[in-house]
Amino acid sequence: MTVKNFCYTLFAIAFSLALGKLTHALISGLPASLYGMIFYCVFLQLNWFDANKVSQVNLWLVKHMGVCFVPAGIGIINHFDLIKQHGVALIGIIFISTFILLTLIGWLSERFLVEKNSTSATISNQ
Amino acid sequence: MMSQEQLLASIVLTLASLIIYQIATYAQQKWQSILLNPMLVTITVLAPILVSANINYQQYMQATQLLNFMLEPAIVALGFPLYLQLRNVKYHWKEILAILSLGIVIVIIISFVATMALIAIPEIAVALSLKSVTTPIGIALTEQEAGDSSITAFAIMIAGFSGALLGPRWLHFIGVNSVKAQGLAIGSASHVIGTAVLAKISAEHAAYSSVALIFSALLTALISPWLIPLMQQFYS
Repeated sequence: MTVKNFCYTLFAIAFSLALGKLTHALISGLPASLYGMIFYCVFLQLNWFDANKVSQVNLWLVKHMGVCFVPAGIGIINHFDLIKQHGVALIGIIFISTFILLTLIGWLSERFLVEKNSTSATISNQ
Repeated sequence: MMSQEQLLASIVLTLASLIIYQIATYAQQKWQSILLNPMLVTITVLAPILVSANINYQQYMQATQLLNFMLEPAIVALGFPLYLQLRNVKYHWKEILAILSLGIVIVIIISFVATMALIAIPEIAVALSLKSVTTPIGIALTEQEAGDSSITAFAIMIAGFSGALLGPRWLHFIGVNSVKAQGLAIGSASHVIGTAVLAKISAEHAAYSSVALIFSALLTALISPWLIPLMQQFYS
């Protein structure tokens, strides 16, 4: 990871984010950071930013980005009463809706993607 | 302008968060257990310390502004994996987008309605509706929709762990055995944690899981700003 590539990647991300903020200010809709993410992807696809130059730094950033979300997660300390009162309902809703989504996407993908172009490997064979 | 005391608190709390996170990252690499997810471990260790030291959430948030500042650039950085996955969806992007969109609409409605029926707090309903998406996007969208982002972060972790631990067996049990279908299902329901589990099975599983992870985030960002206000209106 060279300093040059590090600065290049930070510039690419900052530039995309600035455009995202401008777009959000003009048309609202998505959060500014999401517009930034789309701009960043489009610029890479158009080769306006060199994917080879951003690759290493970007993968490092993505690998360690979880720490940025710790403050949001710590907010759970504000909700001990809620968890005490509705903990079972909360976990139940999360658990059941997650398995409904798993089942639905799994079945539909099997039906509409795999039957078209079947693949062989399965988890059970691993 | 920060007082000296605030500056010290800021340095100590930010460093504590970073150090615990790094130790957890190291532990996870060493023992390869998803239960050692660095974010989960950091929150589990730090929350009781903050409570026992009488530091409330607002004080912690203020002290860790640097981490909050990095939140938006971190989301933008996800544009790179999105770029990398575009070739995987080139031939059946229409079907993938249709399947994921349907799943997202259904799970948002189910989560919102169930939360309003059982808990009846709109901020929590918004937070739980946006849990089937990767953490950065979930938090950004929840804040935009006036939900409680700490509940979203908590719900995303529970969804991630439950799907990652039980998802592959469940999918096999219901007859979903292909790589594509398993990858898309786990990636959309259990995001990064599920993708990490599938990566150990095969690169193709992980590729499709990443596709679902990224495209679910994008689709949720497009669908939720009109679907959630619609449901909020229904319950108001």
